[in-house]
Amino acid sequence: MDSDDFKHHYSQQFNAELEQVRSRVLTMGGLVEKQLSMAIDALHHGRSDPAEDVVSNDYKVNACDVEIDELCTNILALRKPNASDLRLVLAVIKITADLERIGDEAKRVARMAIRAASGDHGRNLYGQIAHLGSQVQGMLHRVLDAFARLDVDGAIGVAHEDVNIDREYESLMRQSMTYMMEDPRSIPYVLDLIWASRSLERIGDRCCNISEYIIYFVKGKDVRHTSLEQIRKEFG
Amino acid sequence: MSGRPGWIQEAWRVALIIAIALAIGLALDQVEWCLLLALLAYTIRNVYNLHRLADWVVDTEATDAPIHFGLWGDIYSRIARVSRRQAQRERRLTTLLTEYKSSTSALPDAAVALDNEGRIRWFNESASRLLRLQTAKDIGQPLLNLLRAPDFVEFLKTSKPGASLQMPAPGDSTRQLEIRITAYGEDQRLLLAQDITERLQQERMRKDFVANVSHELRTPLTVISGFIENLQASPGTAEPRLRRPLELMEQQAARMRQIVEDLLLLARLESESAPSVFEVVVVGDMLSSIAEDCAGLREDVPAIGCEIETDCHLRGDEKQLRSAVMNLVVNAVNHTPADGSVTIRWKVSDGEGFLSVEDTGEGIAAEHLPRLTERFYRVDAGRSRERGGTGLGLAIVKHILSRHDASLEVDSKPGRGSTFTCVFKGARLVCEPPESTVTEGSTMKHSAQEKTASRRTYG
Repeated sequence: MDSDDFKHHYSQQFNAELEQVRSRVLTMGGLVEKQLSMAIDALHHGRSDPAEDVVSNDYKVNACDVEIDELCTNILALRKPNASDLRLVLAVIKITADLERIGDEAKRVARMAIRAASGDHGRNLYGQIAHLGSQVQGMLHRVLDAFARLDVDGAIGVAHEDVNIDREYESLMRQSMTYMMEDPRSIPYVLDLIWASRSLERIGDRCCNISEYIIYFVKGKDVRHTSLEQIRKEFG
Repeated sequence: MSGRPGWIQEAWRVALIIAIALAIGLALDQVEWCLLLALLAYTIRNVYNLHRLADWVVDTEATDAPIHFGLWGDIYSRIARVSRRQAQRERRLTTLLTEYKSSTSALPDAAVALDNEGRIRWFNESASRLLRLQTAKDIGQPLLNLLRAPDFVEFLKTSKPGASLQMPAPGDSTRQLEIRITAYGEDQRLLLAQDITERLQQERMRKDFVANVSHELRTPLTVISGFIENLQASPGTAEPRLRRPLELMEQQAARMRQIVEDLLLLARLESESAPSVFEVVVVGDMLSSIAEDCAGLREDVPAIGCEIETDCHLRGDEKQLRSAVMNLVVNAVNHTPADGSVTIRWKVSDGEGFLSVEDTGEGIAAEHLPRLTERFYRVDAGRSRERGGTGLGLAIVKHILSRHDASLEVDSKPGRGSTFTCVFKGARLVCEPPESTVTEGSTMKHSAQEKTASRRTYG
């Protein structure tokens, strides 16, 4: 399937609406991507200014969420879409919900960055977190690209990446525990970092969800709660 | 094919058929039937030929015309000629297109052609590398679906001519791209993206180098000028032979120190990002105090007038603004004879603030104007050096103004004098009386004032 599928309707208006809703989702995605990259950057470099920008800009992501939901409701009510159009609308509703939560997680990371910037402690774990962060960032970027291109292979690739994220997260957890055992005074700040990495790991999961919605929209098959191997066998 | 035109051959042929039919008809006494049969046969032959022609025209492989004789032969040969010519043109166009495509794909910069709705029509190879576009899939896709960074979305929507945007490459934040958009054709746009990572790195290296060198030079210079002062003060060197060299050494060391200070200030202005919150600067007070300071610069200072035509204030960094205006006024004073005059003016018109310094000095020739704010650019090297300039004053002014979203305009005629005008945007103006004009500012003002007032009196 390609983007030409949006052009098959007799009603030009309807085509335009479907195109618009997809573009809005991707615009929102771009915003969330920027929020996330600023938050990670702030955490990595221990700067609070960009982190505060992230916190204060979260309302933009929420506004996008509300706007896209309204567009979708209008399409459902007025156009009564079926088949792939209906799947698109449903997928969009779910994707925006996940994007909005990714925005929230980015805000949480930013909050941790503000706290970390105010404290004066070793930065042993920041490099690790930055690595996890850049992986998650790449994942979000690729899953949105897959949505723009309706690229099932890309979506499956993203789902596969989540395994690496989980592994990275686990090793971060183990490291944090040793830091806490070595020096109990570091516990408050290590806890903050655990929260931040937890948020990043959650973002990875949400990217996975989005890739499942993409497969659902393009292939018409619900692949939630199925294993990666099964998805691969069927569509890979 | 014979030399005669096809239609004459065809006419002869028809005449021949009719003649034969007539002859047979007369012999059999069945003239009507024979004529009818003959014409019927001729028509059938023509219909069959038409059918063959229809087949031959669509058959791209067939090159040889099936008939070479008569009107039909003419038709075939003409069609063959036209299609040959067309094929030639097509080949020429194809080679042209391939050449064009291969030359654009060899471009190091990414190029993407967009239609009126912002969809991708075409892009070159570098675009797939720099912008991560995929050859087949992305044609027809709205570009904003793939390049989603909010800054870029804003840039593409407003796309002012000549504007450029600097942003990290999508999917690879270590590389920086500079993006420009040009309009072409009807409602179409061409997006050009250039990888400027290396350029930025070099720029940063250059800046770091200048800042480091300046910093490293500061200490030795301090030592040298310290010893010069010592020597001057010690009684052993009261010898007149040494007095003049020492004086010159002191002057030059001071000048070098001034250059180093200015370079460091410039480096600081370049590297620090502009603060988002500014204090309110009471421009009138600042200007009159600058005028006072400058009046005491030398003995033969021209008359300095101060015309404040508005109550508006400016949002900005007082210390920096003062240093910028001070630079302008000191320049004006240095280039104006004692019987001339220097006027500092502050006014608001059309929603913009104009802070100008006007002098009646010797003026600047037009060819120097575009380069005035370059570092170490001198209109007349010997003269300005002897007046103690470092060659960095206007570069500093320009940097300070750009931090205040302002621009510098220079208007000058040789022999009549020059006017330097700082144009501040309306958003920077504060036109109601401010509730509290930052009180710290006045204490800071003093130290800034002493420093800047003394800066150009060296040497």
